[in-house]
Amino acid sequence: MIRTVLSRVLQKLLLVPIVALASYYLMAVLPVPSDEDSKRQLPAELAASYRKDLGLGEPLGFLRPWTKLFRGERLGTTAQGVTGEEMLQKLSGSVAVGVMGLVLALVWALLLALLRAGGRRPPGLLGDLLPAIAFGTPAFIPALLLAPSVVETGHLLPELSAAFVVSLWPGVLLGTLLTDTLRQEVAKDYVRTAMSKGLSREAAVRRHVLPNLWPALLDSLPPLATALLGGSFAAERVFGLPYFGQLYVSAVLQKQLAVVVVATTVFAALLVAVSVAVEAVRLVVDPRARDRREAA
Amino acid sequence: MSPRRLAWTGLLLLAALGLGSFALGVLWPTVPARYCPLGHDVLRPDRTVCELSFGGLWVSLGIGLLAGALSTALGLVLATLARLLGGFVERWILRFADAFFSLPDVLILMVLQFAGQTLGDLRPELKLSPVPLMIASLGLVGWAGPTRMLRNRLATLEEQEFVLAARALGGTRAHLFRAHLWPGLKAYVLALFLSRLPAAILAESTVSFFGIARMEPMSLGRYLGTSYSAILYEGGARVVLPAWGLLILIVLGASLAARGVEGASSPGR
Repeated sequence: MIRTVLSRVLQKLLLVPIVALASYYLMAVLPVPSDEDSKRQLPAELAASYRKDLGLGEPLGFLRPWTKLFRGERLGTTAQGVTGEEMLQKLSGSVAVGVMGLVLALVWALLLALLRAGGRRPPGLLGDLLPAIAFGTPAFIPALLLAPSVVETGHLLPELSAAFVVSLWPGVLLGTLLTDTLRQEVAKDYVRTAMSKGLSREAAVRRHVLPNLWPALLDSLPPLATALLGGSFAAERVFGLPYFGQLYVSAVLQKQLAVVVVATTVFAALLVAVSVAVEAVRLVVDPRARDRREAA
Repeated sequence: MSPRRLAWTGLLLLAALGLGSFALGVLWPTVPARYCPLGHDVLRPDRTVCELSFGGLWVSLGIGLLAGALSTALGLVLATLARLLGGFVERWILRFADAFFSLPDVLILMVLQFAGQTLGDLRPELKLSPVPLMIASLGLVGWAGPTRMLRNRLATLEEQEFVLAARALGGTRAHLFRAHLWPGLKAYVLALFLSRLPAAILAESTVSFFGIARMEPMSLGRYLGTSYSAILYEGGARVVLPAWGLLILIVLGASLAARGVEGASSPGR
């Protein structure tokens, strides 16, 4: 089993060097394709600073942003560049907002699942409308609606508001998914058997159905983390939070090439870490996942 | 509601939104300019909020349609290649699709926009204007989901008895695809295209909101992004709510149509 688990982890970890190399070479072909072009299009000093920042023309140049990062040097060509330590601080700020968002998303999901699963009839117009409203609401829209209270008057905490804003759509998505899974499980034979042997509906759901919701809940966590961190880009921008999302958008707008390469890879590594952690938890709580791995 | 009716409701809603906004934004712009109950925009006092919202809607919808079509087409080509070639190629296409799928659309879109804009600055002969660049970027961002789903659908169809019989009778792969697989796949392709539409529109809105894509004519996201400072001082509802409502209607139309088309074409029916 350890071999199959390791192979799954390695497959996921492969994403990190792929993203690192793809983002590096995408940036590397852009700024200074040749000396002649650079003379025509870019000031010589800027072209030279791009070259130095990305390590273009050097052997193993693709490692250059990373060596600068680990030596504590500033990445980027201007004063807006960041060091590894600053990047880590910004990332921890974003992760804190993401974790608060995750907790809120789970609360919304549970409330929605209880509301929708409470009735025995399948969801009607509200069942169609609510996911459409949630999905049709990019994080910047509730952020804009809250912005005057947060930014101008300072009535609300920016971090908590950002977590609230990013949690809305993932919460509804997760709630819809949980409700659908709950309905499917409740209709299965094992629940009917348990109830025919004298268990109440509530006891059958608590004892037999809820443990079977774990796999669906765990499977939804990696896309949920992606949605939360992706949403935090907009929320941080609107509320002026100086965290990772703000850093990334500013790096793109100010053409800080090495910052874009490193930040993209760090972002991918974070999502891979979430995915690996979910896989590990799933192996612990879901015996079917263990059996499948062993069979594979 | 039956799947067929669901599909028609969604498609009619999308058509009404697209044609209505094009008519009000381009053909008769004086109508929303004269009769807008929401008043004039703060930063552009010569234009009304209705003009800018309806004017932005058809741009967003057009970009979403073209980008959705491009990403679905890319997904179809890659899924077909994966099934035709099989083995190592199929494994790596799927692995790469899964890896790509786990990154947020907005992040990759920002990198591609950045790359496209910088390339255009350096080599003017390769410069794309913001709308085609956005369509190309969204198409490249959205291929992974359709590739994975179409490959799975093809694999399921290939196990059907009529396909096995055709193969046993000596049908070539190209013949099998053209005569037996494609008829069972095309409604699913349409459903996938419709389900990509809102994702493309929302990703475009978010990136335009950041100011990374300078869309002209203005899309809904760009309109909201440029109105940010006014929204902060004046309060957001008057500007944000109409654009939000229009985005929700697009998503509702596309999801109803996708569900209807998929339901009507599912093998169990």
